[in-house]
Amino acid sequence: MSQIAGTKARLVWAVNLAALVLVLLWTIPTFGLLVSSFRDRDQIAATGWWRAAFATEQTGFERAGTAADQLPEGDLFVISGDLTGAGAQVTAWGISSRDPAAFTPGETAELKDGQRLTVAADGAYRLSSPTAFTETRGMRIFLTTAEKPRATLENYARVIGAEGLGRAFLNTMTVTIPATVIPILIAAFAAYALAWMEFPGRALLIAAVVGLLVVPLQLALIPLLKFHNEIGLGKGYMGIWLAHTGFGLPLAIYLLRNYMAGLPREIIESARVDGATEFQIFRRIILPLSFPALASFAIFQFLWVWNDLLVATVFLGNRPDQLVMTGVLRELLGSRGGDWEILAASAFLSIAVPLLVFFALQKYLVRGLLAGSVKGG
Amino acid sequence: MEQLAYATGTIVAGVFACVAWFWGSNLLLDLIWPPRGPQAGRNITRANLIRPWAFIGPAVLFLGLYLVYPVLNSAARSLMDAGSREFVGLDNYRWLAGDAKFRESIANNMLWLLIVPAASTFLGLIAAQVTDRIRWGNLAKSLIFMPMAISFVGAGVIWKFIYDYRPEGQDQIGLLNAIWVALGHAPQTWLTLPLLNNLFLMAVLIWIQTGFAMVILSAALRGIPEETVEAAILDGANPVQLFFRIKVPQIRGTIAVVWTTITIVVLKVFDIVFVMTNGQWGTQVLANLMYDWMFRGAPDYGRGSAIALVIMALVTPIMIWNIRNARAETR
Amino acid sequence: MTRPLTLSVAVLALAAGSAFGADLKFPPGEDARFDWASYEALKAMDLKGQKLTVLGPWLSADRDLFESVLAYFEAATGVDVQYAGSDSFEQQIVIDAEAGSPPDIAVFPQPGLAADLAKKGHLKPLAAGTEDWIKAHYAAGDSWAAYGNYAGPDGAPHQYAFPYKADVKSLVWYVPENFEDAGYAVPQTMEELKALTEEIAADGGTPWCIGLGSGGATGWPATDWVEDLMLRLNPPGDYDAWVVNDLKFDDPKVIAAIEDFGWFARNDAFVAGGAGAVASGDFRDSPKGLFTSPPQCYLHRQASFIPSFFPEGTVIGQDADFFYFPAYADKGLGQPVLGAGTMFAKLTDNPAADAFITFLESPIAHEVWMAQTGFVTPFKAVDPDLYGDPTLQKMGQILREATTFRFDGSDLMPGAIGAGAFWTGMVDYAGGKPAAEVAHAIQATWDTLK
Repeated sequence: MSQIAGTKARLVWAVNLAALVLVLLWTIPTFGLLVSSFRDRDQIAATGWWRAAFATEQTGFERAGTAADQLPEGDLFVISGDLTGAGAQVTAWGISSRDPAAFTPGETAELKDGQRLTVAADGAYRLSSPTAFTETRGMRIFLTTAEKPRATLENYARVIGAEGLGRAFLNTMTVTIPATVIPILIAAFAAYALAWMEFPGRALLIAAVVGLLVVPLQLALIPLLKFHNEIGLGKGYMGIWLAHTGFGLPLAIYLLRNYMAGLPREIIESARVDGATEFQIFRRIILPLSFPALASFAIFQFLWVWNDLLVATVFLGNRPDQLVMTGVLRELLGSRGGDWEILAASAFLSIAVPLLVFFALQKYLVRGLLAGSVKGG
Repeated sequence: MEQLAYATGTIVAGVFACVAWFWGSNLLLDLIWPPRGPQAGRNITRANLIRPWAFIGPAVLFLGLYLVYPVLNSAARSLMDAGSREFVGLDNYRWLAGDAKFRESIANNMLWLLIVPAASTFLGLIAAQVTDRIRWGNLAKSLIFMPMAISFVGAGVIWKFIYDYRPEGQDQIGLLNAIWVALGHAPQTWLTLPLLNNLFLMAVLIWIQTGFAMVILSAALRGIPEETVEAAILDGANPVQLFFRIKVPQIRGTIAVVWTTITIVVLKVFDIVFVMTNGQWGTQVLANLMYDWMFRGAPDYGRGSAIALVIMALVTPIMIWNIRNARAETR
Repeated sequence: MTRPLTLSVAVLALAAGSAFGADLKFPPGEDARFDWASYEALKAMDLKGQKLTVLGPWLSADRDLFESVLAYFEAATGVDVQYAGSDSFEQQIVIDAEAGSPPDIAVFPQPGLAADLAKKGHLKPLAAGTEDWIKAHYAAGDSWAAYGNYAGPDGAPHQYAFPYKADVKSLVWYVPENFEDAGYAVPQTMEELKALTEEIAADGGTPWCIGLGSGGATGWPATDWVEDLMLRLNPPGDYDAWVVNDLKFDDPKVIAAIEDFGWFARNDAFVAGGAGAVASGDFRDSPKGLFTSPPQCYLHRQASFIPSFFPEGTVIGQDADFFYFPAYADKGLGQPVLGAGTMFAKLTDNPAADAFITFLESPIAHEVWMAQTGFVTPFKAVDPDLYGDPTLQKMGQILREATTFRFDGSDLMPGAIGAGAFWTGMVDYAGGKPAAEVAHAIQATWDTLK
């Protein structure tokens, strides 16, 4: 008895450990993006995200004050100030890009014309000269500093403050909800017919659905937009709903049919014997039992439409009032797309709604349990 | 506000129209051939000949218009020149057969087809089983599922922070190189290493698709009748045996569906390759090659369509397998 | 001569134009350097209530700038212009044109795609006289006109596109203070540039930062190098023959240009991170090496847009500056300039589209943008004092003084080469393949296109 309990405890441990490893492997890349979304552009390019929480050694330069900052001090002219922010410790400094770590903090460097420069460990500097300074641009002082980690919310502020994001959110919702609901409805009926009704050509139709799964979207763009233009639909929400419905149907039918085909035969046959019409069987038995499958497809279709940019730009358009979320975020990146910090922040904002949907529908996924118990009984 | 009303109106109208169609057509059939009276048997048979078509009618209409028609259109264009004006016969296909990039893409696609569906399905199965048995299972599921919710552009950035390369001596900002350097090696430009770079791209898709496999398979695992599991436990099966001998065979159908779906995703894989290497350094795949020819520079719709048809032809074995399966079920 | 006229018109404009002056960046008539007469002349075209749709590649900041120019057209003619920007412009315009819902005007970043659409019959020829206008009013006007002149569906050439907004590519960026620290001087000739490269390496520094990585477009920065060197090793005629493949890609002249790029990029001592880092280093990250301490490199050859990837707060002209990528002194080929530009083409017969092209011929359309940022123009009639900053002015000067102006060759080649085989070939070359082998492979791809 105790042996079984021991095995069980060990098993629980093993399962937990396996889950932990999987979860870690799967979240580390995303976590890196999350950390990066709180760093500024220069930091991202300078050190790995995993070092964001540690003090890092940074090299760079700051500019001393200009002639406008000088104060007379005895027979000297002095420019002084602080080169670093709070929390930074100067470990070395220099006055030339050739040798940026020539001096230790506290040392004094002799410059041209009797000028002298001292930089202290806390970043305070003092530049003195026997004659008045004339520079309008401060000299470069090269610093090697140990910097405390810093985080910024600026990336998120920029994304949220982006012009037209609210409007785009509305547009995306307008596109996404009908484009998720309509294909599910149509596919559910088709899946039921393909799973439980007998008619000639059924197997062929199922195979055709599988075949259509693989149609590359890009190939359909021109013929379909042409079709919409010809029937006077043009570009607009109706067009994009229809397009997403068409593109989403094969996967919907395929997943739902497979699920429905796995439902216990006895229930359906006994209902038929009881004189229920096909429509009644579908509505009273199949639909409630298929909830997990419906919910999982709803999640996938929602995600796909939510993250889509291609179909939206083709069937909706690119005018500012037509843009969807992905379109606005893409704009933030600029025409050359090198702003990784913005990308990171926007990826996390755009992931929020799909994750909410996932959490909301998760309890329906669990209803699979109920379906299973019916099967067992 | 107006837009919201429009959207809500459409959802309601759409749902209503769908329901009206399915319900109405059903009612109509019952009126024409009432399943009662002296001819009930004959009427039911007749009605049942038509009823399935009422149910799949809208789907067939959509599939025909939005997928079959473009495919036929492209099939025709694949026999025409770049501007789709002159008929050129099989020239585009002949060109494909001799094109080095096309052969490279086919070879790479085969590699993808072998590795990605297998790895994603297997990992998804493990994830489903494991997360169903722990207390924080829902959280774990959500975290593994998260990559599905990230757009491909986002995924591209995420993996940049993994594969990025900095010359030796500089701080690495790519995790893989940081580990590699910490182990005492020289940093590598991962995405340019022949053959290996394909695996690095595949890792991204596996990372994304495992969540999909997990969700579907988890639902299937929960559907397994408790009795069969209990019986096996009483017979003294250990947990591993229980999983592979009792549970997996019972959800074989779902595993096949997941496998098929991911296979098809692989055939269409385009964004990952496009964002990360654009098919350079020997990583070209068919879908990206097709995109190149359809829209890049001076587009050649004929060649692009020819490649698209090759991609679709590759799915034929899966279709045949599905026909057989469907027939077996009916029997 | 023009001055009194401008002034008197300005006074008129002040009286008439105040109603919509609020929407315009520079109130008409105020700054006498602007050619307000050309703005007033536009008012002769009364197209009130007409609509014009424009599709272009410009997003965010660029879009705002372009819209500030559009505002003048709208104010003068009453046309309602709707501009849509797309980051997948190339795909978008092909789909829209083929599907039968084209915009009235499309802004092509590359002549190659425009030529292709012209051949397929999607573009409408511009008004007669446009070609002569470009030739007469643009510096190196013949070159510019040629880049908008394509064969139509019937094979007859027409002026289909109007070049507006130029980019200068032949620029080398550097940090003047680093040069000062090390005692280097800005080179005037290619020989001096090569000597400087060797000098920096001998001093223990690394001369160049070169990064070819650009995600899906990896390799393109190297094509700019090769094109620039083609223009410096061979007469412009050879360059023109090369982009249409009359001069084969594996011609010794082309191979020599590739190898000249290799002189810089394939020497471990000359590039930051060593030659191995060139192919995979991201072009957006590579200029940052100029600003590190100690500097990872001293020189970076890139087009005029690159400052947007400099560290935040970098002041061009002080923290960083550029010089003309010099020509060989001993070749006698003058001062060739490699550049690019956007081409405006008509896709419909909307009269407002014609009016818009006429608008682009007026100095004011150029001056409004050049007085802001990110715009250079080869238009000779504009006042160079209007350039928003000295950097632009210097670029504008390079453009105006060019003895030869040639468009980015990879934009002129067929897409499969200029946005495909050429890119991949340069990546292979940077990775160590011999130039001849790479050139043969590119030529082989080109042969399959015929």
